[in-house]
Amino acid sequence: MFNSLRTDQLIAGIGATARTAAGATGAPDDYARGQLLSAYSVSRLLAAEVSGEAALLAWLRSELLDVLDGKPAAMKIEAAQDGIKVGGILVDLLAELRQSGEDPELRTRIHAILREMAGRELAALAARPEGSSRR
Amino acid sequence: MSDSTIDPAKAAAALETLRRADAAGPRAEVVGLTQMEGGWSRHTYAIDVDDPDHEGLSRYIGRVRPEDSVLDTDLGQEFEIYKVLEGEPVPAPRVHGYEPSADTPFGGPYFLMERVAGEGLNVWRRPDRELLEADWAGGRGIAEDFVDGMAAIHAVDSTKLEGVVVARDFRATVARWRDIYEDIRLVPDPVVEEAYAWLLDNEPEPVAPRLVHGDYRIGNCLVDGGRLTAVLDWELASIGDPRFDLGYMALRYSGGRFISGGSELTGAVAERDWLERRYAAATGETPDRAVVDLYAALGALMLFSIMGTGLALYDAGKSTDIRAAWSRFVFPGLRADLAELMGW
Repeated sequence: MFNSLRTDQLIAGIGATARTAAGATGAPDDYARGQLLSAYSVSRLLAAEVSGEAALLAWLRSELLDVLDGKPAAMKIEAAQDGIKVGGILVDLLAELRQSGEDPELRTRIHAILREMAGRELAALAARPEGSSRR
Repeated sequence: MSDSTIDPAKAAAALETLRRADAAGPRAEVVGLTQMEGGWSRHTYAIDVDDPDHEGLSRYIGRVRPEDSVLDTDLGQEFEIYKVLEGEPVPAPRVHGYEPSADTPFGGPYFLMERVAGEGLNVWRRPDRELLEADWAGGRGIAEDFVDGMAAIHAVDSTKLEGVVVARDFRATVARWRDIYEDIRLVPDPVVEEAYAWLLDNEPEPVAPRLVHGDYRIGNCLVDGGRLTAVLDWELASIGDPRFDLGYMALRYSGGRFISGGSELTGAVAERDWLERRYAAATGETPDRAVVDLYAALGALMLFSIMGTGLALYDAGKSTDIRAAWSRFVFPGLRADLAELMGW
């Protein structure tokens, strides 16, 4: 949800690895084989992430709007277009709550949402995307 | 007979380094040189040398610090640690020559060390976890050696490492990884930032500083015949709080959890209570689990910074290592670890 490197960068990386492998001469060494297996792993994980990200973002936004209940940060969360922007808003909000010492209950509730978000993200990544098969 | 696939410049450089260290004679020849899979911040080469002046084939490992290393760590320090360990009961390979120049055929400074018998286990692969589970259920040779190895590291007289290894207390260690996170900060992460605040709010009482490996896990050891034969990868070593090693080992990630799965055993090696009892028996110090968990969180944050550095290099086009891109998928599991450790 708060992960760097965009989808297009990852797809380009998978392609670059495949191209390097295709252009190599001789039998691949352990390093080259490791690169190909990592590219394969990235492709599977990315497919799972793309399949699940809209639902995860919708869930996160809904939970946060519920606990923020009309606070100024709620409008920012509502307008945030992706998980990375939501993460930035939460960084600022949690720092403000931490420094001011105000509304510790809200901070605790946001923590709980973030914990559940991590679990949901792991579950989404572990799901096998439709149409894929492992050989 | 030379292998035609061997890079002649790398082979010549390796031989020159070995000769300077009196580890190879004038008639020595490199008969094998391949890059190995492992090594994120170091590139690793297997180098075989046939020397008529020595009996049998001599097998070496080349450790190279590439320009695009994910860690700005001193290869010379790592080399010196190995030299100090030659006189200690810590299983570690002997080193044979260090080349500090960045302009080498290997693409950076390097040192050579003996290739110790044994395999590195990958706890993120099921067969290796099963091997460790069988060890735990059976003779426990690996589990015992793993704990005893850590105790031996923590027992090294740290005065022997003065001027060799950097000393960092709790706050300095937190600051080191936080500075890296803030330098790269490709994406603001509320879990990471709350975790740093939590650490500073819960600073533990200090203990006597010791040699800390800094990346102590079974994957950084070699195992042969059900016993541990070497502890490798000392680039994160420091003089500091030994409970860091215990905490890092207790991370679920260190036990093989990636996005799911992983071992029920701590570090994929042993049950936590047993591990702590054995460590206490060997060192005379019973670790406070709350403090160990604090260091586990710091270990997770260290991984964020190291892998984040790899991601930043990849993002900037300074690395083409696809494993750096892959590492972004480690972060959700680390966030789950952090949330659990902080009691969220």
